[in-house]
Amino acid sequence: MPDPEKRFAEEWRNAAYNCFSSGHKFCREVCPVMQVTRNESWSPTAFHANVVAMEKGELEVADVAADYVNCTGCGACELRCPNSLFTGDFYRFRTRTVDLVKAVRGLAVSQGVHQPGWQRWNLLTDERRHEPVLNGTPIEQERVRDWADGLDLPIGGETILFVDCEAAFYRTSVPRAVARILNLAGYKFGLMNEQWCCGGPAAEMGYEEQARRFAQHNLDDWRAAGVRRVLVLDPHDYITFTEDYPKYFGDAYDIEIVLVVELLAELIREGRLTPHVPVERTVTYHDPCRLSKRKGVWREPREILRAIPGVTFHDVDRVTQWSYCSGGGGGLPVEKPELTAKISEHRVGKAAELGVDTLVSACPWSERPLSEAGKARSIDVVDLHELLAESLGVAP
Amino acid sequence: MKYRYQEEMSPPPVQRVTDVAITRFEHVFEVEPGLMTEHVTQQTFPNWDTLRLVRSRADHLAWMHRHFADKVISGEELLDDLDE
Amino acid sequence: MTVLLGDPVLEELRQILGTDHVLTGKADRLNRARVPAPFPVHRWAERMPDLVVLPASTEEVAEVLRLANSLRIPVVPRDGGTGLTDGAVPLRGGIVVDVKRINQIKEIDLDNRTCTAGTGINALKLNEVLARHGLIYPDDPASYPCSLVGGRIGTSGWSLIGSRYGHTRDLVLSFDHVLPTGRVIHVGDGIGRKITKSSSGYQLKHLFMGHQGTLGIATEATLKLFPKPEAEFSPFWAFEDYDTAYRAVGALARAGVATFAGAVLFDEWKVDYLRRDDEAYIPQPSSVKALVCAALYGYEDEVRAGGRRLLRIARSLGARYLGDEISEGDWAARHDRYATPLHGRTRSGQVVPMSWHCEDASINYTNLPAVRLAWHEIADRLRRESDVFDDWGMFAYTNGATGADYLTEIDIGIWEQRLDDAAWAAWVRAKRDLAAVALAHGGSISACHGSCREGEVDLVPAELGGGYDVMLDIKRAIDPNNIMNPGKYLLDQAYAEKS
Repeated sequence: MPDPEKRFAEEWRNAAYNCFSSGHKFCREVCPVMQVTRNESWSPTAFHANVVAMEKGELEVADVAADYVNCTGCGACELRCPNSLFTGDFYRFRTRTVDLVKAVRGLAVSQGVHQPGWQRWNLLTDERRHEPVLNGTPIEQERVRDWADGLDLPIGGETILFVDCEAAFYRTSVPRAVARILNLAGYKFGLMNEQWCCGGPAAEMGYEEQARRFAQHNLDDWRAAGVRRVLVLDPHDYITFTEDYPKYFGDAYDIEIVLVVELLAELIREGRLTPHVPVERTVTYHDPCRLSKRKGVWREPREILRAIPGVTFHDVDRVTQWSYCSGGGGGLPVEKPELTAKISEHRVGKAAELGVDTLVSACPWSERPLSEAGKARSIDVVDLHELLAESLGVAP
Repeated sequence: MKYRYQEEMSPPPVQRVTDVAITRFEHVFEVEPGLMTEHVTQQTFPNWDTLRLVRSRADHLAWMHRHFADKVISGEELLDDLDE
Repeated sequence: MTVLLGDPVLEELRQILGTDHVLTGKADRLNRARVPAPFPVHRWAERMPDLVVLPASTEEVAEVLRLANSLRIPVVPRDGGTGLTDGAVPLRGGIVVDVKRINQIKEIDLDNRTCTAGTGINALKLNEVLARHGLIYPDDPASYPCSLVGGRIGTSGWSLIGSRYGHTRDLVLSFDHVLPTGRVIHVGDGIGRKITKSSSGYQLKHLFMGHQGTLGIATEATLKLFPKPEAEFSPFWAFEDYDTAYRAVGALARAGVATFAGAVLFDEWKVDYLRRDDEAYIPQPSSVKALVCAALYGYEDEVRAGGRRLLRIARSLGARYLGDEISEGDWAARHDRYATPLHGRTRSGQVVPMSWHCEDASINYTNLPAVRLAWHEIADRLRRESDVFDDWGMFAYTNGATGADYLTEIDIGIWEQRLDDAAWAAWVRAKRDLAAVALAHGGSISACHGSCREGEVDLVPAELGGGYDVMLDIKRAIDPNNIMNPGKYLLDQAYAEKS
């Protein structure tokens, strides 16, 4: 076995045994991939067991790299694992399947084992500084702020709004809604001087060096402009800025990160925003994985939904939703779009059982696959920020 | 709600509970850190993660009750009945 | 017999199942040899199947078995792989038939209160659907969130709330079963799919439950449903000594309360163990030496009345109620109560990851105290021998509503990372000794898991006596070529005798 693989197995062995030795497998029925494939080779517990097998010399990363594609990074497995849920805080040692999957993907790339779709995606991202989210239409750096045309937003300042690639180039109505709402509340913010992709997707697909390079660029850009606070509307960015960047920069990381959905709930609570235009929809809310499962943020989006007049809200509690996912995360749609489609169909099917006409999400990356699946069942997929903007009477 | 690295990496001070357990956050026990120095060492644990697990555990247990029955009967209430 | 890549059998299997559903990768095979409470991890590679198939229907399972039978290839069925006696672990390579894709709900019959589903379905997931109809399938093992109906059939599982609702054997009404020859039969009470009581013919349902995959594969089951309970009550009590707690659990179980779903007795070792890391027990005063809990399910008025009766009995026997918070929190955690590895401690108290080896037996109430002492002596011997072992204490759970016998378990932690042949041999010896104690006290080797692992299995012929000879005859008759899970339950003897 090559040395990097030995070092890898050494680093992860306690975590791997913590899963292998318990063999609970409570991860299995909450895993979105496992639920639609029923293939145990792609279950979170197998991802840990493989490390034990690597330590025993039974497997090399080339044998299993393709298995590790089958993960959306939703975090259901590691939260539902008793080693996290019942004893993780006690021992300060919890199951970290998402980190493990990223690490194995990184190990594979470092050993020259690439997944063709991911390799292409990250190459294009590296060239253009943004993810190639427009299906063939090249992304251009100078267009990263086009979504804000006509909004007269300043560049720079102490507080800036960071917009992820999907929202900046594809689902541009979301950042427009956010900007208009913040303007309405009189909340001061600007845009970034030269925004690059956050680097999170590269890190998720195993291209670590690229991820760090992008992170360094963004941090340098913030520092140069005197940015103290970054507003984030995308849950994936929120993870990158609160988990990856601290790992890269350690004590030097002094930027405050604010999740827009939490900020908006606060502005409503303080009376600085009052939704008043009735929105006549029967809705349910999709807990974005990276908010609810991975960060424990589930209350504020519901608070906002309940503040919107006219909405009939059929809520599904967040614990039930631990086993829901759009399939849009972790690079899965790039490498296995058919699996993403199955997962989003499964999710939309749960919404259909409630008899709703609208599925509200708060994650731009979930909205493309969910919208696709929604068409077949005549369910609209709407972003929470946009719904709030509509009820606040602000123009799109 | 706002993420600041320095705050997240500064847990409340330790209070001893037993020979093998301490607390940092109110009502949240942790292992005596000295017991995790030889074979398994503790991970970096920002405050938000501890609190997320504690709250998720409570939510999960409440969910499990609802999963098996519509309501939970209070033993304290029934004991009061016995005393009357 | 082993199947090699490039073998024509692979091509035939791909024709039956589709290419995507025949797996030959090493990781695919290693992960189909995994169970909780692992067999010695340093010998993992010896337990690998040659390939894995993922059938989607009874017909596909039948075709696979016909092929395997004609070519004499070993077949091991795999459902959740959560069993604690290694039923799903191949001993002779061959084909693992993983039934997880057979998980569709075929019918929910609201009038007859039954549900028919593929055996690859998990009970928690099923109950999420049934709840919409106000119904529940109350089969509740410690692996509730991940075990599958088929595995419950193959092991004849035990349920935490079985004193109220019965165990798997009572809850599964009938099922489609693929015999080792590939023939599909339907077994139940008589032939009925939804019949709960029949006197017609031999009672085959029990025969095809708990065989650990040695007699074929269940693929579709019809299950008995109950109204989802309106109310739950789960009091926990503390005691100053084991004997008082023992008397109390007996009195609670014998009280004849109709909503009584089960009671559990925790011994002194278990309480000590819980003080390591369980938020409910860390702050308990040192005077707490043993615990008892009970659970009641039903309509609110029934549960309240029954609950008051049990509280009165417990109080009269010196119990201290631990309060609603502990009672509710701890009970809710018992539906998914697999141990977590970091409970493990070396003799110097350092935290190490240990696997959970839960050794169980069925023991009559009157023999619980004696078995407990004998079992802890065995655990103590292991601990003295090696830091690889840790005694995690004992539970005794009521098997039924009358309190006759208890699922009695001792939990032993094993430090897998340091496990070697010598330690494993010590463990196998200990398992044999634990089983011998159970038999010496008139018990059965297992209430719950089965008894086909190394160590305990040696005593199964002694436990069953002439019945074991009947087992051999049945195995030979039903599986003439010994293809189903060969090597388990010492059943190779059936064929040695013949030749």
